[in-house]
Amino acid sequence: MPDLSSFSSVPPASSPADEVKSCCAAAYGTDAVALLLGEAYHPGGRALTREMAQALRVGTGDRVLDAACGPGATARLLAAERGARVDGVDLGAPTLERARALTREAELEDRVAFLHGDAEHLPVPDGAYDALVCECALCTFPGKRAAAAEFARVLRPGGRVGVTDVVVEGGLPRELAGIAGWIACIADALPTSGYLELLEGAGLRVGLVERHDAALERMVDRIEARLRVLAMAAPERLAEAGVDGEAVAPYLEAARRAVQEGRVGYALFTAEKPA
Amino acid sequence: MADRRDRDEVFVEFTRSICPVCKEVVDAQVNIRDGKVYLRKRCAGHGTFEALVYGDAQAYTESARFNKPGTLPLTFQTEVKDGCPKDCGLCPEHKQHACLGIIEVNTACNLDCPICFADSGHQPDGYSITREQCALMLDTFVEAEGEPEVVMFSGGEPTIHKNILDFVDMAQERPIQVVNINTNGIRLATDRRFAAALGERNGRNGTSVNIYLQFDGFDEATHKAIRGKDLRERKRRALDACAEAGLTVTLVAAVERGLNEHEVGDIIRYGIDHPAVRSVSFQPVTHSGRHVEFDPLTRLTNSDVMELINEQCPEWFKPGDFFPVPCCFPTCRSITYLLVDRKPDGTTDVVPIPRLVDIEEHLDYVSNRVLPDPELRASLERLWSASAFMGTPGTMDSLQAATATAAAECEACGIDLPEAAKDLGDKVFMIVLQDFQDPYTLNVRQLMKCCVEEITPDGRIIPFCAYNSVGYREEVRAQMSGVDVAPVVPNARELSATTVQSPYGSRIARSAGPEEGGADA
Repeated sequence: MPDLSSFSSVPPASSPADEVKSCCAAAYGTDAVALLLGEAYHPGGRALTREMAQALRVGTGDRVLDAACGPGATARLLAAERGARVDGVDLGAPTLERARALTREAELEDRVAFLHGDAEHLPVPDGAYDALVCECALCTFPGKRAAAAEFARVLRPGGRVGVTDVVVEGGLPRELAGIAGWIACIADALPTSGYLELLEGAGLRVGLVERHDAALERMVDRIEARLRVLAMAAPERLAEAGVDGEAVAPYLEAARRAVQEGRVGYALFTAEKPA
Repeated sequence: MADRRDRDEVFVEFTRSICPVCKEVVDAQVNIRDGKVYLRKRCAGHGTFEALVYGDAQAYTESARFNKPGTLPLTFQTEVKDGCPKDCGLCPEHKQHACLGIIEVNTACNLDCPICFADSGHQPDGYSITREQCALMLDTFVEAEGEPEVVMFSGGEPTIHKNILDFVDMAQERPIQVVNINTNGIRLATDRRFAAALGERNGRNGTSVNIYLQFDGFDEATHKAIRGKDLRERKRRALDACAEAGLTVTLVAAVERGLNEHEVGDIIRYGIDHPAVRSVSFQPVTHSGRHVEFDPLTRLTNSDVMELINEQCPEWFKPGDFFPVPCCFPTCRSITYLLVDRKPDGTTDVVPIPRLVDIEEHLDYVSNRVLPDPELRASLERLWSASAFMGTPGTMDSLQAATATAAAECEACGIDLPEAAKDLGDKVFMIVLQDFQDPYTLNVRQLMKCCVEEITPDGRIIPFCAYNSVGYREEVRAQMSGVDVAPVVPNARELSATTVQSPYGSRIARSAGPEEGGADA
């Protein structure tokens, strides 16, 4: 999961959904999905990360940058399974501390490093990387165009970028507008064409465009399951925190429907910097 | 020139099996056709045989990743001589230790069910083990495992053995964690003192005593077809006696195509509502021993049972809620755990644990080289195992650990979930799907990693599916009873002309049976 501290939209606190946010998200300056699923979670999990690594042909000794790396799960995976040397960049200093600790624990610190920085101003030199990955994060950046330009800048000619992200076709369904404020991922997600324009606008040549909507549906299932378990395990505490499962349920149903109808989805994009 | 044509199937494995008639080892191939998985083999003497082994080809191939490295037992009982499956066992080529050891205490039963893989009943011959034999069997298991996880007393009907309580005591004197009694429930229903005696033993010396109760459905027709009589009232009383005695029960349903496949949803609902029941085990009928006539190409497999559950309980289940067990071969057994919430308005809410935890990321042993959380993996391994039984300390601790980890991310909300998850133990329900192999479906690739074993009175440990399919059961019965036992042949429609009924009700080759015009009634 990306660091979401750059997400700053403040929704009006009136609907029941907003109360959930005020329980979790607003109080802790982060995203409701991240709180329910963990900051390392992104749709598709490791399986999709592996698929992306395969599509990017990440190999032994390759230099890879992970933009909005969170606690570094993907960075470690690319190092351990594909032999890459990975730099993770993230805005959250505490997140990076955890990323470093987990990486030491996994004995990968010789191949995985973490840098504090913003995806819109990556703290690394031009042309330094063979590949760049950005998972479930681009949609949350306020300056998407700047970020895409940075991706292109730091790749060597022939270098490849892999982006996985939420896609929203034809605007956010009306039933979901109310929760956009507390689920950063969908608030500012683009249609497929939007991501293509971003990548092409940065001078990158688009390769693969692949939908992975089932991953998003599984994520909705997981949010629902976790809310229900919270309701079982600690109903009074949940009530004290102002979370009303009954109020959230219709939103989850609407989200599932939107995914099934193809209006909201998840996609993998790859692109290459022309040689 | 004629056009070449493609085959109508994808060849995915070359393996070995046995001829269902003569039990000779033969080459076999696994093929995918119309999205389903079939095992096909040819015996020089008896022809070609084919059986459905998994109803969902995609799930079959994807589950290969969930295959855990086996654990070596402390001792092996036999040598490698003729190769699998003729050297049982366990021989040093076996890939897994025993998660669960079965001790069949007798061949006699107070029922004569039309479906009984053990071919038991009211029979003039047979055997019943002595205390000394039981001690040797338990000691064999302890020698092989150190601290065995689960012993299951079975039969025949183990509760009618006069020493059954002694056997439980003997197991509890040894470092064995769980004792299961595999029963039809008649004695539990009619003898309160017996239920109470088992209840007293539950938890003694740290060993749980659980009841594995034969329970196939609610229709009278189901009972008549599978058990030969209407046992509904007996089952109800047995369950109430267990609840009263503080015994944890697993409902065990033999599921046969065309007989009771419509009842799986009701069995789950009934189990969830009954205070004594903590799990349900669905087992597609094993076409070994005695069973009703069947078609090997349309038999039920684990994936078919999953589909039946999804269809019959759509409010609770969807594809992906069951996960294969990595300790045995992943297509042999699938498990799910449910968190069950009985709401004040009388409805019941169910959350399958696989929706909470990314089990796939933790139990993928092939692509995974970075371990996200070793403790969570260890807990999940104990839960997705043949030795997991509800109500036992090992299983309950693992459930708590897994649930707590799954929900730990919410601690930012100020709710201490690891603490709260401690109270979830009572709310967890387990469902197991187990497709045992028979002479049609036997695949040595699966058999070599089997972790459910029969312990024999002569001190061998034989994979359950080999014991039932290859001829070991007949051999042990003959040896113990002193009466010759002909090799059992499956009651497949295509073999009906070449078989006759055995004295125990199963089918045997015509050449092995009585003269023409004999017992083939």
